[in-house]
Amino acid sequence: MRLVLALLACCAGPAVAQERAEVIRDVVGNHVLPRYAALDEAAQDLDAAAQADCEPESPALREAYGEAFDAWIAASHLRFGPSEVEDRAYALAFWPDPRGDTPGALRALILEEDPVVGTAEGFAEVSIAARGFYGMEFMLYDEEFAGLGAEGYRCDLIRAQARDIALIAGAMQEEWTGGYADLMLRPGGDRYRSEADVIQEFYDALGAGLEFTADSRLARPMGEFDDPKPARAEARRSGRSLRHVRISLASLHDLAERLMPEGVVHDHLGAAFDRAETLAARLDDPVFAGVSDPTGRFRVEALKGAVDRISAVGNEELGAALGVAAGFNASDGD
Amino acid sequence: MATRRGFLAGLAAAALVPRPTWADVGSPDFLAAAKMPEGDYALVGLTRDGREVFRLPLPDRGHAAAAHPSRAEAVAFARRPGTFAVVIDCQSGEVRARLDAAEGRHFYGHGAYSRDGRLLFTTENDYGANRGMVGVRDATAGYVQIDEFPTMGVGPHEIARMPGTDILVVGNGGIASHPDAGDVDLDIPAMKPNLAYFSEAGSVLEVVELEPGLRRDSIRHLALREDGLVAFAMQWHGDEGEPAPLLGLHRRGEDVRLLSAPGPMQAEMDGYAGSVAFSRDGSRVAISSPPGGQAQVWNADSGEWIGRLRLRDVCGLSAGPDGFTATTGTGLVVGFGGEAVLWDVAHQGAFDNHLVRLAADL
Repeated sequence: MRLVLALLACCAGPAVAQERAEVIRDVVGNHVLPRYAALDEAAQDLDAAAQADCEPESPALREAYGEAFDAWIAASHLRFGPSEVEDRAYALAFWPDPRGDTPGALRALILEEDPVVGTAEGFAEVSIAARGFYGMEFMLYDEEFAGLGAEGYRCDLIRAQARDIALIAGAMQEEWTGGYADLMLRPGGDRYRSEADVIQEFYDALGAGLEFTADSRLARPMGEFDDPKPARAEARRSGRSLRHVRISLASLHDLAERLMPEGVVHDHLGAAFDRAETLAARLDDPVFAGVSDPTGRFRVEALKGAVDRISAVGNEELGAALGVAAGFNASDGD
Repeated sequence: MATRRGFLAGLAAAALVPRPTWADVGSPDFLAAAKMPEGDYALVGLTRDGREVFRLPLPDRGHAAAAHPSRAEAVAFARRPGTFAVVIDCQSGEVRARLDAAEGRHFYGHGAYSRDGRLLFTTENDYGANRGMVGVRDATAGYVQIDEFPTMGVGPHEIARMPGTDILVVGNGGIASHPDAGDVDLDIPAMKPNLAYFSEAGSVLEVVELEPGLRRDSIRHLALREDGLVAFAMQWHGDEGEPAPLLGLHRRGEDVRLLSAPGPMQAEMDGYAGSVAFSRDGSRVAISSPPGGQAQVWNADSGEWIGRLRLRDVCGLSAGPDGFTATTGTGLVVGFGGEAVLWDVAHQGAFDNHLVRLAADL
């Protein structure tokens, strides 16, 4: 029975070129482009809010920051093409940061009152650890940075971070609409030799996004049973740890739906996503502080298990249905 | 019917016919194993700019051939935990000798020749005693086993010879295994990997361990620079949320230096380094990760981060004309020095984990 299901699944997938082209049109037009457009818009708003008021506790600034960060998390699994030029994705999001490079780089800038914050060109040359949403979170929400160095310099730094985020988001939006979307819609060049290559790119993005949520967002704060690490939770200063898991799952679910719009594999994936999204919605532990006690830890662990389960369905069923496979070496280590 | 006289004449002829050298088979710079589209396996001779000079059938999925320093002769091991290896004549494609692991031993898939090519050293498991061994075989006499010595650790993986010497270095991965359990890692909590140096006769010269927090960082693959600097690549079996370093540098008598990629880039490797190499001029060092789809590059002297090459299913890695040459499971041979693919050549088949460098004295 299993085999029969697998065969049905295979043939219900976009095996033929026409269906593949339709899937690519849908993913590019209704998943990728709206996300990069939304990020661009929210990032321009963040820039405007910071230039208007750089006070870290300003409600307008924090709201704009939150909206732009949300928009990035929803797009952050789409790590190819424009996001990979000049390490833009890392300039927006330098995390995890196990060695504390971000606070270190920010401290150095502030204490030396480094004038690079004065121009966008200058700031673009600053260590990527000091740039982007995670660096800005220290400036807006961390107690140490609320009082470090001179207030005027901190204000200039916040404005430089917001401007930099807006410039990067704008550049990515421009490249997506100015040619990269076409590369994916009309494969045949060096970057994507065929529609299968484009489908592979989306499939890899789905897998990498799920793995990032399971390993970095959930396993990192869990640590070991007798050595939990709640301080490693993503964006805990701004209380966004669980929120990122939810935004990311919703976005990955949307991608999965478009890659496999119907059939048995669609249903299996949908059920796995629903389970994880339900657990996340019920968790009520915004920064995973609960990992320090057994009950709270069990709930975070259950969520991680549910995300791992989505990955397993993706690897075991979706790959075959889409006609893509894990690499020869990647699947057999030595 | 073979007579005694005919047999002796054959032996004499074999002794007189000069064995083919690497120049006789097109002067490859590397050997790689590949899985062909039809499912069979091949041993491929490649030049450093990615051209193929020979392709020979392998009896099974081969792994990490060790290359004789002068004769066109390569050892291909069965997949772990294999109990045999074959010595292949790279001119005729014939199996010149078959190596069987001794009773109670299995191979780990790597080997190295002595400087003069007379001895072959292989990493093996004495699974009854749960200890690593180096098997010593006479390459001038049908590869008969003549000796063995302990590796001072569990689960030895790659073995290499220090350039210009007969000193051997072994990466003891620290992971126990047993043929009854197949290719399954046993007793991860007991891991205690190390890097161990030996004289040709098997005397221990130096054993280097990592700090206690890195007990689960399995030391597996090695690359050597002419001045004796050893690069070792690791595979992390600890907390999956906290990526550990995957590359270390060591010079005898000194402390280990561990290198990591900046912040989030370290996690991209998935805790797995599959191969390690120095660039041709020795100034850079790189590790590859097939699950991470990339190779990461550092300055080998300062330890400064240089960048990463994103490349699907990259694993085989060695020195190349533009710094490094890499091979992939998609059949590419690629030249790179840092973040960009400088050239690539597509081949039939999927290249297996390693790209073995042929160099007279490396």
